[in-house]
Amino acid sequence: MSVALVAPAVAIAAFVVVGGIGMSLVQSLGLLPLVGVPSLSLDAYLANGDELLTGLGLSLGIATASTVLSCVIGLTAAVVITQGRITGRLVAALSALTIPVPHLIGAAAVGLLISDAGVLPRMLGIDGTDWPDLVGGPWWVAVVLEYTWKESAFVALVVAGVLASRVARYDETAALLGASRARRLRHVVIPLATPAVIVSAIIIFVYTFGSYEVAWLLGRPYPEPLPVLAFRLFDAISLTSRPEAAAVAVITTAVSLVVVALGMALLRRTPLWR
Amino acid sequence: MSASLALDSLTKVFDGAAAPALDGVSLTVDAGECLAILGPSGSGKSSVLRAIAGLDAPTAGRILVDGADVAGVAPERRGMAMVFQRPLLFPHLSVLDNVAFAATVAGQPKREARADARQFLELVQLEGFGERPVTALSGGQEQRVAIARALAARPRVLLLDEPFSALDPELRTDMHALLRQIRQQLNPTIVMVTHDRDEAAVVADRVALLSAGRLLQHDTVERLYTRPVALAVARLMGGRIELPGEVRDGVHRSALGDIAAPDGESWPEGPGMLVVRHEAVHVSTLEAAVPVGMVGVEVVVADRRARGPRAEITLASGEAMLEAEVPASRPLVVGQRATAHIPRSACTVVPLDER
Repeated sequence: MSVALVAPAVAIAAFVVVGGIGMSLVQSLGLLPLVGVPSLSLDAYLANGDELLTGLGLSLGIATASTVLSCVIGLTAAVVITQGRITGRLVAALSALTIPVPHLIGAAAVGLLISDAGVLPRMLGIDGTDWPDLVGGPWWVAVVLEYTWKESAFVALVVAGVLASRVARYDETAALLGASRARRLRHVVIPLATPAVIVSAIIIFVYTFGSYEVAWLLGRPYPEPLPVLAFRLFDAISLTSRPEAAAVAVITTAVSLVVVALGMALLRRTPLWR
Repeated sequence: MSASLALDSLTKVFDGAAAPALDGVSLTVDAGECLAILGPSGSGKSSVLRAIAGLDAPTAGRILVDGADVAGVAPERRGMAMVFQRPLLFPHLSVLDNVAFAATVAGQPKREARADARQFLELVQLEGFGERPVTALSGGQEQRVAIARALAARPRVLLLDEPFSALDPELRTDMHALLRQIRQQLNPTIVMVTHDRDEAAVVADRVALLSAGRLLQHDTVERLYTRPVALAVARLMGGRIELPGEVRDGVHRSALGDIAAPDGESWPEGPGMLVVRHEAVHVSTLEAAVPVGMVGVEVVVADRRARGPRAEITLASGEAMLEAEVPASRPLVVGQRATAHIPRSACTVVPLDER
């Protein structure tokens, strides 16, 4: 009976997830060419070997940096929010305002703010040639900054919810046992917030690893992160590029799944999970 | 480990609330004493405890610990430990590390903190449970650990906020025994909030009865039952006999008859409600002689309600109604005539209105 109740939801999810991934997999293995005879091969994976490896490294770097920064800043913001003072309310309002802004708008705004011809260097009176290459530079600063801005707000709201509902009474108990604010943070608040932070981190990592538009808008033309590479190949004139695009998508998906598995394993090891 | 505590006109008004949660509550708790704060839901019991602990700042009034005002002192510096209705054991720490928490955050080396914690686990009869995760404990065990954790912090005052109300009656009795044993061994000052009259009677030396944020009476358990200062006190303590009348020349005259004040006591002249505990009323045969110090009233059994081993009896004497309790085995039936013997020493007169 319960199976029947969830069946519609499962069917739709499976259609998109399994169907989409399945199609990509089949296409990447040469079994669904746009022209010619289907034949099983890894050619699509090997065709852009170097670009694929560079892209993988780059995407991992961007996702890791964005995730770590978002979690640190978001957790800090959550602690400030739950202190309940005026600053807390301000941070909560800012976080809530950040959530509905689409990444594309955010990326455009970050570009307008911190590019060498942007608002910030002009306001500070710094010449464009002396301004660091934040947009399109070698360190992908603008991309990581945009992700961090938006995802730290996500972490802040998720963790603040957990702190306010589940952790507040523990915090009071710890205070009554003589723990100072710093000790409470270290011994109670952070350990109890860890599962929520891990879950948020998994979501952020997978999102930033597979997201296209921010890296495309604020990154440099070469090297390309995996999603940008995949989209360029997908959109290319050459019809043989389609399986190559699918191969990049399959690798992106596989890495994401591994990260989710690792994250869930980590989550299960936290004492709170039981 | 035990300090004296005094509340001086403690008042708390929550933002947007029409009536104060606490309205000028003043009382003292001696060092090593156990005070129960008793009252119905919403009477302000927990607000008193949270104010003492420093979790909520009072709107007005002072809290003195060993004579020193603790206004503005952060909860972590007040030296109060609190046990809540929920044990709130830290789920990421073992049982032993929970008990060692206060010592750990005070900067003691882990070994010493744990050795100290073991003593307190032993005190609550949970030796050998230290290495377990807190999820492996039963409800009663969890609350024992919470008490051990609070005691290990060497609080100047131990605050208990309905700590046993979620436990079943048998476990609750065990916890009362544990509390008695802790008082004998460590003699901490305890303030305990409860809505359970029997629990207050078993555990506490004195009881502060709160209603609607006001302190109605702060007294020994026995006096709260036998010498209520107001009709509201008599009712909150479960009193069921109320006889309106008037005191003239030290004698209360009501539909029941004349009852003189107990020896050595005097009642204020004028209108007054005579209250007496139904447990004090004896039901005897019609012919039985009235013992010295008792008032005898001829009654008819008007109602009988079974209460397990006891039976509650309503007795009518003209327009006056009395209540009594008898063993269930006593063959008193509705309509039967009998004599009610009321001890004069159990009677008291309170003002007619509720306040």
